[in-house]
Amino acid sequence: MSSRGGKQKKGNVTSEQEEEEQPLQAVLVADSFNRRFFPISKDQPRALLPLGNVAMIDYTLEFLTSTGVQETFVFCCWMSNKIKDHLLKSKWCRPTSPNVVHIITSDLYRSLGDVLRDVDAKNLVRNDFILVYGDVVSNIDVSQALQEHRHRRKVDKNISVMTMVFKESSPGHKTRCEEDDVIVAMDSKSKRFSMVTDEFEIRHDLLDCHISICSPQVAELFTDNFDYQTRNDFVRGILVNEEILGNQIHLYVTQDGYGARVSNLQMYDSVSLDMVRRWVYPLTPEANFTDQQGQGCTHSRHNVYRGAEVSLGHGSQMEENVLIGRDTSIGANCHISNSVIGNNCTIGDNVVLDRAHMWNNVHVSSNVEIHQSVVCDGAVVKEAVRLNKQCVLAYNVVIGPNLSLPEGTVVSMHHPEEEEEDDDDEFLSDDQEVGHSKDKTRQKAFNPAEVGPEGKGYIWKASMNDTEDEELAQCLWGLVLNPDPESDSESEASEESQDRTFQLEVLGTLQRGLEENIVCDNLVLEINSLKYAYNITLKEVMQILTRVVLEYPFQQQGTQLTTLQYTGSLLPLLKTWSPVFKNYIKRAQDHLDCLSAVEELFLEQDTHQTAMVKVLMKMYQLEILEEEAILKWFSTGATNDKSRQLRKNQGVMRRMSLWRKESEEDESSEEGECGR
Amino acid sequence: MELQAVLMAAGGGSRMMDLTYNTPKPLLPVGNKPLIWYPLNLLERVGFEEVIVITTKEVQKMISTDPKVKLDVKMKLDLVCIQEDADMGTADALRHIQQKVKTDVLVVSCDLITDAALHEVVDLFRAHNATLSMLMSKAHEFTETVPGQKGKKKTGEQRDFVGVDGTGKRLLFMANEADLDEGVVIRKSIMRKHPRMHIKTGLVDAHLYCLKKSVVDFLADNKSISSIRGELVPYLVRKQFSKSTNSPKVIDETHQNLKKNDKIQISSRDEELLHLTQERSCWNDHRGDMSDAYHGGRLRCYVHIMDEGICYRVNTLAAYIEANRLAPKLFDEPAVHPSAVVSERCLIGADSIIGASCQISDKTSIKRSTIGVSTTVREKVKVTNSIIMHGVTIEEGCNIQGSVICSNAVIGRGADIKYCLVGSAQRIEPDGENPKLQARSLYFPYTQSPQPSIHPHPPPLPPTPPNSYKLKAQHSKRAQFKDSP
Repeated sequence: MSSRGGKQKKGNVTSEQEEEEQPLQAVLVADSFNRRFFPISKDQPRALLPLGNVAMIDYTLEFLTSTGVQETFVFCCWMSNKIKDHLLKSKWCRPTSPNVVHIITSDLYRSLGDVLRDVDAKNLVRNDFILVYGDVVSNIDVSQALQEHRHRRKVDKNISVMTMVFKESSPGHKTRCEEDDVIVAMDSKSKRFSMVTDEFEIRHDLLDCHISICSPQVAELFTDNFDYQTRNDFVRGILVNEEILGNQIHLYVTQDGYGARVSNLQMYDSVSLDMVRRWVYPLTPEANFTDQQGQGCTHSRHNVYRGAEVSLGHGSQMEENVLIGRDTSIGANCHISNSVIGNNCTIGDNVVLDRAHMWNNVHVSSNVEIHQSVVCDGAVVKEAVRLNKQCVLAYNVVIGPNLSLPEGTVVSMHHPEEEEEDDDDEFLSDDQEVGHSKDKTRQKAFNPAEVGPEGKGYIWKASMNDTEDEELAQCLWGLVLNPDPESDSESEASEESQDRTFQLEVLGTLQRGLEENIVCDNLVLEINSLKYAYNITLKEVMQILTRVVLEYPFQQQGTQLTTLQYTGSLLPLLKTWSPVFKNYIKRAQDHLDCLSAVEELFLEQDTHQTAMVKVLMKMYQLEILEEEAILKWFSTGATNDKSRQLRKNQGVMRRMSLWRKESEEDESSEEGECGR
Repeated sequence: MELQAVLMAAGGGSRMMDLTYNTPKPLLPVGNKPLIWYPLNLLERVGFEEVIVITTKEVQKMISTDPKVKLDVKMKLDLVCIQEDADMGTADALRHIQQKVKTDVLVVSCDLITDAALHEVVDLFRAHNATLSMLMSKAHEFTETVPGQKGKKKTGEQRDFVGVDGTGKRLLFMANEADLDEGVVIRKSIMRKHPRMHIKTGLVDAHLYCLKKSVVDFLADNKSISSIRGELVPYLVRKQFSKSTNSPKVIDETHQNLKKNDKIQISSRDEELLHLTQERSCWNDHRGDMSDAYHGGRLRCYVHIMDEGICYRVNTLAAYIEANRLAPKLFDEPAVHPSAVVSERCLIGADSIIGASCQISDKTSIKRSTIGVSTTVREKVKVTNSIIMHGVTIEEGCNIQGSVICSNAVIGRGADIKYCLVGSAQRIEPDGENPKLQARSLYFPYTQSPQPSIHPHPPPLPPTPPNSYKLKAQHSKRAQFKDSP
């Protein structure tokens, strides 16, 4: 860092000239380092997936070129050959291209950090560079941001290491990736990430475009901190060490322009539609910016685009936002809206497509209905199939006929269990692949119930998240994050939650005690240590304990228990745990506290009020509660109408007298026995 | 009557005990007017005709009897006395007068000196049918040297974090540094509703609040809240986003809620009509989503933050001195009272105020100072940057700089007083040569400050006199006050 800084300091004039002369560079990471698009990305790297019939990486490269980037380093890992082939064929590698594309491949990249460390090792960047992923679609003019960044660096002597580009969009906007819900604290004047100044702004209305302007130091910092994996690690590291290292991160907020990263299928869906709706102008389908033969299409009203040689049957309607690729034929009486259809597709009669994303060479028979789904290359949808929302048909899958796929079904030719063994032999030849899958097929035939009588493919379960960190990866469409059930009922929530967690812990302890037959003394020991961990008073411990025990049957068997079932399952529990109780309930006050906890619970569970007597009786018999305490509680404790009523209903008194008699009888009989 | 004004004038001035030792805070002279005159004048200027003044018996007595603290206001003052030693907070005081509150209230503190446009605050209250609207201002740095204070004062008070939305009006968040364990915690649900939140520190709360009547009623039901600023305001700000007050269901269950004291319902009169209006209107306070105006919230707090202008809370000695310096700019009365006898051969700066029936003798120079009622200044006295209260006598040849001389003090011949605070009825006598008071000291009739913690340095009393002079405590200060006309 220092050596380079020194070089720049040598002469401001010369360095400025250098800056002027040096071409703007970009680092494009054509790998996502995650498996969000599995199983689709098993056959095609994410950067090459078509969006509006154009590979995503082309959008990114076009964006970079239009901002004036003259040299781009494309880093590929997964299926790098395919990306390389694609790029070599594309206009970016023609001699006339203003943007020189270097392709760097390595199977060793495991994260963004690895890529940037390699950038540093190979000494590729000489100046500020733009860092993007291969799946970013944008038309933001970053030259302004670039200027600001350079200005800051000139003024503050390399303090600012990164400028991240954000777009304003209100929370809940559909191009905001729900997993990537950023909240940014910034200094509104200097546009710096920070929380240390007197006045700062917290913004939740920003969309991370995943476009960053980096100083060469960024690559060095990644090398220095070998544990940085992602950009988030980097940002966090910089902010935490801001005071020590003096590095700052700034942000650039734009109000117009479009920028989004296709990080899951949800995003794919919305970005694709935005594209068709011309939000990414001038990157529109009819612009044919990739300059490929036969990609051109016409644009007509309601954003309907048609490629060459498209045939449309009688009575078919293309309502709005429809893009149809070349040589595609559509049958009669179809109804198509908000959809993208690739090249060489055939679509039968009476087909309804809504938010369908069909790639190339897809065959759809008649009477098919597709809603918000992705159909990959070569897939066949037979007669009368219905794809409900968020279905994915991966490459070459055959579905149907006469089948309705439930919401969120993912079908692939790869068997889900293949996944585990693939990592090393990614580059199997086709033959091997076929042979391989044949083996599999033999073992596990397609299930006609799942994919239809003539279907080919395996269902991928969305919920096969055995390992925790894979949890995200499995969910193709992105997390379905319900807006948190606003956890803001009361301000005392935090304190209550303390109690609540304690309660859960106690419950867990008791449960385990029951399962593993732990001695009550040990349970007491555990509860005591919990008490200290959560800083709970003894009184609360007892009340919570009482509550947990009394609620235990509900916990285990649901709240729909009848009173009889409830008491049936509770009373043995009380007996088991009575030593625990006795440990906590000693003084007279403890008895009353325990009783009030019991009362509280039964006031809530008013359908089970009748059980209270039995509970009290049992506790009395187990010598958890003393008779005087119960009597005292009964006579004094009534604090409000409800509890008064509770007592009235119970006729506790009446029963009490019964118990007393009983116990006296018991005693007398015992005595009698002894006497005998 | 849309708003009832309530003036809180019962505070003891615990942060400036040196001054309030013998003059109650509301009656401290600022620019030769009692402090309480400023908020009263503020209210009168905007057209209030009646104001409820909550104060102590002592203040009431002095207002009615003492001519020096005459309040020349035309408004009808409804003085309500509360027990001085009952330790009542502002919210307690408001609860105390609940019977008198018929409409929404405007609560003002007696130590507020401001030229703020009150209508800004009230307009926010009106326009948004707010539950609370308040006034804040950028904090001022006090530049004047404060007597009895050596070096820079530590910023002992903890910062307040105030969160406002993008427009800078809606109050979303409020927390004091003292209450924060680690960092500022803001609920995400608030962020979702108000994606841009400015967190500001370095603001002064002017202690001027518009409150709905229902809030006063709520106070009556919730005895646990004792301070408006400390408890009620943060509570209301928090409640804006809690579900229980926002769902219409709960509104219907007001009675039930009232039983449970902790979950209250603050709804205004005409709630239903207003709700209907809101439903039918296409107006919205936010953009970016399709939810109702105010996101269906019933409780709304707003704040007006003054960018410029005067806004002081006279609750410390430093603020008191600063206020005295600025006070003359707030009213256009002749700097020299007509009844004052001022010699023609003296120099009086334009930024000074001379009170009624003063006597200023020859060869005197007075600059940037305030001279109180019936004060006598003899020959060859130089007064700079100082506050001289009522009935003070300054003998010949004194030099007073940057000091505060309280009422009825007598400064002996040739005294040299720099950055000192001389307590009331204090007599600084020449004993031998010209007395020279130690710079930056406090001189009091009592030997020990009633609250030593207030002073960064305990008053060096009795000062070991290098060149001897005496300090004599004349009488008990209150008797003194009554006796001297």
